[in-house]
Amino acid sequence: MYSLADFYFHATAALPEIVLTVFGMIILLFGLVREDKSTPQVTLMTVSAFAVTALVIAAMPSEPFKGFMGSFIYDPFAQFMKLLVLMGGAACLAMTLSYNTQEKINRFEFPVLALFSTVGMMFIISANDLMLAYVGLELMSLPLYVLVSIRRDFLRSSEAGIKYFVLGALASGMILYGISLIYGFSGTINFTRLSETLALQDGVSITLSFGLIMLICGVAFKLSAVPFHMWTPDVYEGAPTSVTAFLAIAPKTAVFALLARILFDGFGDMTAQWQDVIWIIAAASMIVGAFAAIPQTSIKRLLAYSTIGHMGYALVGMTAASFDGVRSMIVYMALYMVMNIGVFAIVLMLRQNDRQTTDIDNLSGLGKTHPVVALMMTVLMFSMAGIPPLAGFFGKLFVFQAAVSAELYGLAVLGVLTSVVAAYYYLRIIKIMYFEEPIHVLDKPTRDLEVISGIATIFVVAFILFPQSLVNAAQAAATALVTI
Amino acid sequence: MGLIAVFLPLFSAIFAGALGRIIGDRATQAITCTFLCVAAIASIVMFNSVILEGNTETIKLMSWIKSGDLELNWALRFDTLSVVMLFVVNVVSAMVHIYSVGYMSHDKSKTRFMAYLGLFTFAMLMLVTSNNFVQLFFGWEGVGLASYLLIGFWHHKHSANAAAIKAFVVNRVGDFGLSLGIFAVFMLFGTLQFDPVFDQASEIAGTTFEFLGHQWDALTVTCFLLFIGAMGKSAQLGLHTWLPDAMEGPTPVSALIHAATMVTAGVFLVARLSPVFEYAPSVMEFITVIGALTALVAATIAITQHDIKRVIAYSTMSQLGYMFFALGVSAYGAAMFHLFTHAFFKALLFLGAGSVIHAMSDEQDMRNMGGIWKEIPITYAMMWIGSLALAGIPFFAGYYSKDMILEAVYADHSFVGNFAFWCGIAAAFLTAFYSWRLIIMTFHGKPRADEKVMAHIHESPPVMLFPLIILALGAILSGYIAYSWFVGEDRFEFWRDTLFILEGNDTVEAAHHVPSWVPILPFAIGLAGIAFGYLLYMFRKSWPQKIANTFKPVHTFLYKKWYFDELYHNAIVVPLIKFGYVFWKGGDKKIIDGLGPDGIANSVKEGAFQIRKIQTGFVYDYAYTMLAGVVIFITLFIVML
Amino acid sequence: MLEIGIVHYLIVAAALFVTGVFGIFLNRSNVILILMSIELILLSVTINLVTFSHFLHDLTGQVFAMLILTIAAAEAAIGLAILMTYFRKKGSIDVTEINIMKG
Repeated sequence: MYSLADFYFHATAALPEIVLTVFGMIILLFGLVREDKSTPQVTLMTVSAFAVTALVIAAMPSEPFKGFMGSFIYDPFAQFMKLLVLMGGAACLAMTLSYNTQEKINRFEFPVLALFSTVGMMFIISANDLMLAYVGLELMSLPLYVLVSIRRDFLRSSEAGIKYFVLGALASGMILYGISLIYGFSGTINFTRLSETLALQDGVSITLSFGLIMLICGVAFKLSAVPFHMWTPDVYEGAPTSVTAFLAIAPKTAVFALLARILFDGFGDMTAQWQDVIWIIAAASMIVGAFAAIPQTSIKRLLAYSTIGHMGYALVGMTAASFDGVRSMIVYMALYMVMNIGVFAIVLMLRQNDRQTTDIDNLSGLGKTHPVVALMMTVLMFSMAGIPPLAGFFGKLFVFQAAVSAELYGLAVLGVLTSVVAAYYYLRIIKIMYFEEPIHVLDKPTRDLEVISGIATIFVVAFILFPQSLVNAAQAAATALVTI
Repeated sequence: MGLIAVFLPLFSAIFAGALGRIIGDRATQAITCTFLCVAAIASIVMFNSVILEGNTETIKLMSWIKSGDLELNWALRFDTLSVVMLFVVNVVSAMVHIYSVGYMSHDKSKTRFMAYLGLFTFAMLMLVTSNNFVQLFFGWEGVGLASYLLIGFWHHKHSANAAAIKAFVVNRVGDFGLSLGIFAVFMLFGTLQFDPVFDQASEIAGTTFEFLGHQWDALTVTCFLLFIGAMGKSAQLGLHTWLPDAMEGPTPVSALIHAATMVTAGVFLVARLSPVFEYAPSVMEFITVIGALTALVAATIAITQHDIKRVIAYSTMSQLGYMFFALGVSAYGAAMFHLFTHAFFKALLFLGAGSVIHAMSDEQDMRNMGGIWKEIPITYAMMWIGSLALAGIPFFAGYYSKDMILEAVYADHSFVGNFAFWCGIAAAFLTAFYSWRLIIMTFHGKPRADEKVMAHIHESPPVMLFPLIILALGAILSGYIAYSWFVGEDRFEFWRDTLFILEGNDTVEAAHHVPSWVPILPFAIGLAGIAFGYLLYMFRKSWPQKIANTFKPVHTFLYKKWYFDELYHNAIVVPLIKFGYVFWKGGDKKIIDGLGPDGIANSVKEGAFQIRKIQTGFVYDYAYTMLAGVVIFITLFIVML
Repeated sequence: MLEIGIVHYLIVAAALFVTGVFGIFLNRSNVILILMSIELILLSVTINLVTFSHFLHDLTGQVFAMLILTIAAAEAAIGLAILMTYFRKKGSIDVTEINIMKG
């Protein structure tokens, strides 16, 4: 049986989570005492907590390490993905402060909820069994439900909350039902033991496959992959933009990590069963992401469809079911995160008469009125469209390369075609910014947003100079997950 | 020395183009002019060493293309023919460079102008010094490009752009013929180097090929195609319409490109390829006829025009006609001689006209001039010298060369020769007439310009007069000095083997033995033309209008330039535009775009709106979609099991 | 005499699950019913897990069931809270009216 020493031993695997949780509780108490006027300090403390946690992660050894009876795994993959999530979360929180103050939703709960959601993300990244995965998913989602509907005076925010909550609960239900089937027909929920069990089986139990499909579908909901994407545009539009940014950036990376773990660690022997499902989800996401964004008039809805499309491209890497595929997926998610940080920083800047505006037409003439912002937006849009030599191009290139080397030619061709269609709406934004006369002049953007967006832009432009460092990191991470 | 003469203009162009903005207008002008003057002096040295001392040489620069049978080198061939051209091009170019300093002094883009001039000069030199057809073609296209750039130099003027495009397109017709001709040469001879082609010409002569059920003489077809190229570049009748319009360019350009050098490329081409053309007698007859018609038609148009530069332009075209009919009767020496003297006096006339235009505040219409000879005496004198040379008055340059040509065609004793002779005589009369019409309308009589312009009239600065004087010296002396070299006793030693004339075709020799009235007639007719000009425009000023009214249809016909432009416009341009429109609207827009890019774009948009409709906004629909997804996946899984 | 075996438990659970799912997308009245349907789904899963746990002689399923109950409580609380804010603003919880955002 477990002794206290054992517990300490196992706890070291979860050290970053423990650190962050402790910080979260302290910050929560601080906020409770000081109330809403303390929001700036609370935000700053949260960002610092993220930074400290990231340092802890960076300082930890990179050998794979399992704790808590094998249900918690710590390895280079988890290390890399957690760093990504923490970085994205910190950047988002840094962006939200000025916006939340302007929109009068600067409650101290905001950063604390984001922090606990991030803890949930870190748990699902490290989850090595389905129970922990489920708890992590809920820990991630529940604060997000609250965050989405945090603007209580705003009907759209509440409606977005209801939709997100109801559909999220349905997705949880599917995940759980899938888990229960997997548990019942394999006798275990631990990924390691699952793969051992599956390796011994001759055929594959149909019921087990049903369970896996339902599990994948539930997880795909969190990724906003088609056909489980329906909530995404509405929630992106209704939620306060700061929440939308957080929603678009941090959870996607974490859920991708979970999906990779489920598919490669747990069900690595059932590739044949899940590859077709992921193929369809990826293809459908790319198509819907490319087409449905075209008629949009709100930049937030447009970015929602853009996210759906990007999830499709990242899933192409997953479909390849190879080392290259996972590596390209990791690179893609990292680049996706950086680009979205930059874009959302700009979207947060779009204010008229001290009110948020999301109408794409209000971008008109931005090239004249705010040339620097317009230039950054242009670079980011070009990158999202995958135009060389910007970072987005390399993301797509790696993914398609992986697809081709896995002989998924159809998917690669579809990916190229849909990225051509998607280029239409990215370029439309650029056209509106530069070739149409300004209707309303936007307010002067705040400095912090400009800096964040500027850093993202520089990264996107300069990526061509050092693609290898990111690829190497992704390589190390992917090695932990898939053997070459 | 040869390299200096050829490449200094290139360096000048690169220099002006690349560094012009940095070092400023003054320095650019000084440096480019210095470069060109050095190149001109180098050409004179070359003239001495290659022609007079006989140091013919070919400098191989580098290998260019090596592919199967096709082997081409960048090489500079310096023999009498190319060095004559080298001399003409570099000397006139240097003069024009200097002149431009004054003429373009009010222009904003001086360095660009200098760069284009240098580029043109280099391309022309590549053309004349080439040792194979392809390098010649390179130079040919290079001068075409430079000409396009210079005609359209004032690109803010719509007419200049239109003229530049016209020049380019009409030349393209000729160039197409030339390139087909070059292909044919390669087919027939298996090489594009000049010397092997010339050596084999006598063997190839007489071979035929079948096309459209008809036997064609291979060499005739080849030479005909090559001559089409020459016609385009040298503005011979049919492909001449671009030349008058090219006067939209700055006047120094007209002098350099559209009088002295580029338009003579066709003459040079036929002379250079004389070993081939000699074996295609029917093409030679064709050349004679075209040249004769050009000479006459252009002269008739020139007598009705009012734009001073257009008159000189038609005069150029007419003189080119002389050169061609000389070529047509194998009087290559005479043609080259006229090319040589013409370069001086025509450049002189153009630059003189430029000086007038400059003095008259950019007025080009002769009806608005007059009475200014006392204000600009030097220019006036220069125009007299140029016109005397052009009209073929004795001891001026034109007298020697034009007489030689007319004697040669007379001496040919063929039908086409006689035709050309009488056309030439008629053109000579008209030439003298329009030259004095020009002088009298421009300089004499009462001033017709407004007072503001008249008050501003001034003699051109020395930097413009100096080139005029040099060219005037050429216009006076070149005929006298060069007569014996080009067509006189020394001609065999002078030309060596660069011109090839079949036995019995040597009309230059025969020209020395014509009846005595033949040399006198052109001179007499020239004097008559001058007298007629004086009569009509000096003493009986009402007559020209009366004559024009009496022969209204004829005058209109001539004034409208024989309706060539209208003919081409209605017969070729309009149908082609309609044709193109049909393909554009019907073919491209409806079929290709409709099914291709536009069609796809529209269906993408349509698809986008359809997908959008699925997004109803209702939670239960969203939930239903999710469940449908799960059901579909499970069904697919069972089906594929 | 009918022997109640694993299949019966699973059928009950499946029936509950399907009822819950249908309750979400066939329901056209109000959001409370959706919340109840969600509870049904979670309960069906709980039954499944406990059944399996019993028949596999493995405690994991029962532990999982306890966790689900806990989380379901939290989820219900959050769901009701969101619903409250929505109702305050809108004055109705009719699901057919929740579509101001679409497209």
